[in-house]
Amino acid sequence: MSATILQISFAELCNLERLEHDVIVEIVSHDIVTPIQGELAADWVFEASAVPVIKKAARLANDFEIDWVAVSMMIDLMQQKEALERENAAYRLQLERFIEG
Amino acid sequence: MDFKDYYKILGVEPEADAKAIKTAYRKLARKYHPDVNPEEGAGEKFKEVAEAYAVLKDEKLRAEFDELRKYGGQPGGGFKPPPDWQRSGGFESGGQSSEDFSDFFNSIFGGGGGPAGAGGHTRRPMRGEDAEIELPVFLEETIGDQQRTIEYTIPKMENGQVTQVKKQLKVTIPKGLVDGERIRLKGQGVPSFGGGEAGDLYLHVRLVPHPLFDVQGHNLTITVPLAPWEAALGTKVTLPTLTGKISLTIPPNTQAGKKMRIKGKGLQGKKETGDLYAVFKIVMPADSNEEAQKLWAQLAESAEFDPRADWRSTK
Repeated sequence: MSATILQISFAELCNLERLEHDVIVEIVSHDIVTPIQGELAADWVFEASAVPVIKKAARLANDFEIDWVAVSMMIDLMQQKEALERENAAYRLQLERFIEG
Repeated sequence: MDFKDYYKILGVEPEADAKAIKTAYRKLARKYHPDVNPEEGAGEKFKEVAEAYAVLKDEKLRAEFDELRKYGGQPGGGFKPPPDWQRSGGFESGGQSSEDFSDFFNSIFGGGGGPAGAGGHTRRPMRGEDAEIELPVFLEETIGDQQRTIEYTIPKMENGQVTQVKKQLKVTIPKGLVDGERIRLKGQGVPSFGGGEAGDLYLHVRLVPHPLFDVQGHNLTITVPLAPWEAALGTKVTLPTLTGKISLTIPPNTQAGKKMRIKGKGLQGKKETGDLYAVFKIVMPADSNEEAQKLWAQLAESAEFDPRADWRSTK
């Protein structure tokens, strides 16, 4: 049986390849992700779902050579788009149930 | 191995200045970056572009490349570095890893072949990559903790060769999961090939569409079909919920589209439990008979109801 974890600590995140301490601090200070625990960076704990967001933010900043404000906007818009797509798909399904049968 | 003309890949002249190279790269990144272009093949194309840029933005690497280009830049012909070529090992990662780059890149700029003492710093063994798999979860499974055996394939090094192996893992799926959430399994990802730690495995939760219920956050919606007379007179229906059946009283004159809330019969959240909403739709019988038609006609004559009364003002 393998333990399932819904969290990841700051130290563990720094241990991930290509993720530097300062990068994570920038990502948090630009509200791209918010730790669920901890005041000081060293005590931060994130939801496991934050990991792909953090990785994506680091990737966008590096690959596009853009600043953190731009990264934050990009991620925000991408997340809004995904949420709208999900909502749209859900409404479509509901509408089908309402019309058909 | 083919010679890669990095200038051609970025679409710039060999004399292009640093600014032109940067502009060309950013335009191509905008087009092919896998985070902004989900199309197949975009990721591969971006890797090529990123490799070209990693070389051409660095003055030293670019000068080395220019030398080589004079020597071996014959299109079509296979490329081999000149016999006296000293691999500089000069690629300093700026957040990138040369592991993603081509054999061509690594044969020229890759580390290890450079003059002794050029590097000097010892590298930490690379941690294995994280892996992610989709985990389809039925709505019924989110109500309590569930045990599940998952199966996935990851690359493994065997006798110096990388092969894909199947792995089985028994995991506990905690209750209260929502669509899109990720579960982390520490050290169950891709093993490190250099003696480092294994990566993590992430399970990406996908709620399986339910034949009856739609999900909005922690709330559920069920569409309840009613016969016209049930909507008119009111009735009692047996309503399925995720945890069993309940009896629901439909009041007389229930409109199509009206919603009723059944508290606490939605999905289990980490803190709170959602509600179930019953939405009514009115369904005509598929076929009718003479007697029924007569009764409808009777109703039509006696009822003073114009469902299109609103249209009268708009001529």
